[in-house]
Amino acid sequence: MVNATLTPETTRRAAPGAPATGIHGRDRRGRRQAVVAYLFLAPALLFFAVFLVLPLGFAVLLSTSRWAGFDLGDIQPVGLDNFAALFADGSTFLTPVLTNTLLFALGTVALALAGSVLVATCIDNLRFQGLWRTLYFLPIVTTVVAVGNVWKYMYEPGGLVNGVLNALGFGSVAFLQDPDTALPSVVVVQAWASVGSAILVLTAGLKSIPETYYEAAALDGAGPGTVFLRITLPLLRPSLVFVCVTQFLTGLQSFALIIVMTKGGPGDATEVAALEMYRQAFSYGDWGTASAAAFVLFAVVLTVTLAQLWFFRRRGEDV
Amino acid sequence: MNRRRFPWLSYLLVVTGAVLTVVPFADMVMTSFKGPAEAGTLPYRFLPRAFDLSNYRAAVHQLDLPVLFRNSVVATALITGSVLLTSSLAGYALAKLRFPGRDLVFRLVLSTMMFPPFLFFIPHFLILVHWPLAGGNDLLGRGGAGLTVSIVALAMPFLVSSFGIFLTRQFMISIPDEVLEAARIDGAGEFTVWWRIVVPQTRPVLLTLGLLTFVDAWNEYIWALLVSTADPDVMTLPVGIQLLQDYVDPTRTMPIVMAGLVLSTLPILTLFLLLQKHYIRGVMLSGLK
Repeated sequence: MVNATLTPETTRRAAPGAPATGIHGRDRRGRRQAVVAYLFLAPALLFFAVFLVLPLGFAVLLSTSRWAGFDLGDIQPVGLDNFAALFADGSTFLTPVLTNTLLFALGTVALALAGSVLVATCIDNLRFQGLWRTLYFLPIVTTVVAVGNVWKYMYEPGGLVNGVLNALGFGSVAFLQDPDTALPSVVVVQAWASVGSAILVLTAGLKSIPETYYEAAALDGAGPGTVFLRITLPLLRPSLVFVCVTQFLTGLQSFALIIVMTKGGPGDATEVAALEMYRQAFSYGDWGTASAAAFVLFAVVLTVTLAQLWFFRRRGEDV
Repeated sequence: MNRRRFPWLSYLLVVTGAVLTVVPFADMVMTSFKGPAEAGTLPYRFLPRAFDLSNYRAAVHQLDLPVLFRNSVVATALITGSVLLTSSLAGYALAKLRFPGRDLVFRLVLSTMMFPPFLFFIPHFLILVHWPLAGGNDLLGRGGAGLTVSIVALAMPFLVSSFGIFLTRQFMISIPDEVLEAARIDGAGEFTVWWRIVVPQTRPVLLTLGLLTFVDAWNEYIWALLVSTADPDVMTLPVGIQLLQDYVDPTRTMPIVMAGLVLSTLPILTLFLLLQKHYIRGVMLSGLK
């Protein structure tokens, strides 16, 4: 979604050179082709009108209104009150909700990045790369309901994680029930579930590094550590930035895993912005506050997206 | 780099990681065979005492699995079919037809991709509730439950994919114009050109797009949860299984939940393993998952 920045210039270049017998023939054909083109585009354009433009307008309206639901005639404009309420004293939106959101996203990025860099550089040396890649990819095609429940169960006192801890002589940990460990425990699961796609991107990045650099380094007698720090990491930087940004954006937005595993609890230890938005709307019927929260989160997401575009534009790379 | 210098270290790391990735799946399968007194009790045991199928029978009955399967299949089929059709039609128009406003439309399609999905949950739900002349609503969308009580509601917000249009367009650009022009000279209309030449030539990318869409639609949870709160009859597999886990004593029903999860993830994992090359190519193309 974010990386699709192909310029419309390619469109012009690919225009079909329509050979036509005369000026009039070309006109008639051109007009017919335009009609056909818009017929072909009609389902998509209609969809965008109803499910993109209309909802965006509606969301802006709701975020600046007070509305109890039901009758559309009861929507009352309240200006920026909903936004003010989010940042007012005593509101939980800034802390812990937005803080949790950032911690969740940052934690996921850190873990997934560390894991995927390690695994991707190692897979590059091995045989059966396809097999490993497939295994690491399994969580990505699995529904969040399965991932969340399996891990939730593994975190239980009688579950696998505590079973391993006990076998090693440690005491049990109440991972999801303790407010101090709940958020990190969910972060681990999110990272576990997303490491496969990061490995995929990094493996492609590694393959694009010319072999000659490594041969030159070997001739100069550079050790594996030096090679990794001086050649692999710098040349992998675009892929690393890309992985960081996309995982960070996903982390900022995701709340399905948290709904499944903790419902934001214990207390509000794992409450994140998108979940707060969801709850305000569908549990409390406060559509105004919920829509305002959505736009605040959107502002954060957009800032990160634009920063990423700026980074790649500056480097003159089309990602 | 250190090619085959320390491969044992690489193997150790990669295999450890792979085991960590696979173990939760194995635990899911093992738990699905455990008896009610066996699951969640101390000390933890990985293997069940007996491979008992009673949890699977319970899952089929308690979860009403056939209905959940039907709803999931219908929603997934609607979404995948619609995304393939609309992407391929729009992609062809944007790649190979010449018409005023083409760049504008293409730019519009690209710009829609910057809006994150969470922005739409609320307005989409309200739009479906107030859909005119559906589910007891009047012309102004008042009075009834709108489209939320229909199985179509599960699919509606996902019927068109900007990424799908973008992807098919990028592939269709490489089809030589001469081929299309030859067909036109033979008297073929644009619809025939699209169906007879463009669609067959872009089968690989359509397969990839279909697979990505299918997996996402099958696994979708939040939207399906919203819709089935309005109408339990349209509940999908993830929603139904989560409901069982939430409302019945979790320690006792966990093996049944796991059995349901095994049954619901099995089709998608099989599909992925069979067609993984196409799927992984799609993830590379989208660059994001």
